[in-house]
Amino acid sequence: MTQVATAPTAEATYKPKHGPIDWRGGHTLTFVGPLAFIAIAAIQRIWMQGNAWTIGIDASLPAFNETYRAMFYGEVIAATVATLWWWTYLVRKGKQIVDVPVSHEVEVRRIAKFWGLISTTSVELTIMAAFWPNMDGAWHQTAVRDTALTPAHIPMFFLFFPIGITLTVGTYLYGRYWLPKVYGAENGFPWSFFLLISASVTEMMQVAMNEWGHSLWITEEIFAVPFHWPFVLYGWLAAGIFALWAETIIRLLGIEAEIEAAGASGQEAVA
Amino acid sequence: MASDTETLEADQQFERLKALVHKEYKYIDRKWDAVFWISAAFIVGAAADITMLLFAGDWDFWTDWKDRVWWPILTPFSLVIIGSALQYIQWLAWRFPTGMTYTAICMWFLSTMGRWLQWGNFVWYPMNFVWGTTMVPAGIFADWVLMKTKSFVLTSLLGSAVFSFTWWVSNYVMIAPYLQPAEWMDRILTLSDIQGIAYIRSQTPEYLRIIEHGTLRSFLGETQYVSIVFGMTVTVAGYWVGQFIGRMLAIWPIGRFMKKW
Repeated sequence: MTQVATAPTAEATYKPKHGPIDWRGGHTLTFVGPLAFIAIAAIQRIWMQGNAWTIGIDASLPAFNETYRAMFYGEVIAATVATLWWWTYLVRKGKQIVDVPVSHEVEVRRIAKFWGLISTTSVELTIMAAFWPNMDGAWHQTAVRDTALTPAHIPMFFLFFPIGITLTVGTYLYGRYWLPKVYGAENGFPWSFFLLISASVTEMMQVAMNEWGHSLWITEEIFAVPFHWPFVLYGWLAAGIFALWAETIIRLLGIEAEIEAAGASGQEAVA
Repeated sequence: MASDTETLEADQQFERLKALVHKEYKYIDRKWDAVFWISAAFIVGAAADITMLLFAGDWDFWTDWKDRVWWPILTPFSLVIIGSALQYIQWLAWRFPTGMTYTAICMWFLSTMGRWLQWGNFVWYPMNFVWGTTMVPAGIFADWVLMKTKSFVLTSLLGSAVFSFTWWVSNYVMIAPYLQPAEWMDRILTLSDIQGIAYIRSQTPEYLRIIEHGTLRSFLGETQYVSIVFGMTVTVAGYWVGQFIGRMLAIWPIGRFMKKW
């Protein structure tokens, strides 16, 4: 599968400090992705600061319908459209490029972007599993829980939970088509992604059981009730994210070995 | 003679490892380390925080719930889980006895942000009522046990006990001022009880938490010691739950693929 060709010209196409492993090059997504999600969470949180205790406290208010429920519908529609667009792009573009040979430089840049996607996923899952749950506990234990679409639930369950699926599946699609030597279809389906995607999907499914449980068993908010525990158990599946870092660093070491081997003959291998 | 051979082999091994550490790569540099450690900090902290929140959160949200019966049992059990997983990962990958401390610091940051932004500045409780637990001292001691024993079995037995005990000591320093007696409406209560009455929580079960119910009261003030020791026992189980996560969910999947699914 490995072809041999001279490929030093690929290095000259990048601007200074925009190379495959530069902060403003391949690693850019490591900052941009997480900051985007932190900004989205911050905007929602700041917006709620001014109205949660007025219009957010009573789900029967017309103002609640016009703001919080509107935000719920907007989030669901936006998340669905963004997800379908991104996944479609990844599959269509991926099928075009998956068999095109690339230089080591390009592959390393892709691995850096892949790590940027992992960083983004890590931060997104953090906002989903630590930032909003604290608001969830704070609001429901001390204020009111008169609907499944409370101010705390809307950004957590209906934006950051589904976007967790978007990111984990999208990262797999990127790996499958942009890093075929690691995650190519012929290798099978990686257990690492199976666990990570399972975590995001089962968390979303657990929302249904959570709301059903709250409607059936108790009216008080006790955080340690057993029907909350699946959120934790499913969350542990996200440990598969560590395997993603390991699998791609192993490929990086492979690339270095190939460069070293090719260096002896004065040629660079092209995947 | 055998000793000289062993010394020579050890020296050669040292030189080989030294050369490997200082090897120059074209694309591998310290930026990858930075990206990994900082990115992982988020999901590690979040995993530890949500595990604690949903297994023991109620006993940690409020000073009046930080009792002597359940808090010393549930909290170290829930905290040790992710710390144990990270201990396994970092020890396996780098021989770093730092996993528990790393988890503790990551969780401390996220937990504090959560308490401050949501409990303190969204539903407006004073931070001296809703401060969160710390596992940093406990994590340091548990990592120290791993470093000295180089054994997960011994760390699970000794380290979990040390973790649980250190957790209690380090957090008792913070809860102790709130356990001072005070007179309130002709009754003697603790300051934390008065906080629980003064700051109303309309969706929690009790305005005044009934603590130390059951026969544990017959231990004449020794309730907390019984709970601490039982907490140590339970924490051993939590440690192995964490080992399962580290071994089977984080490390085992590396390079493994499903051919048919």
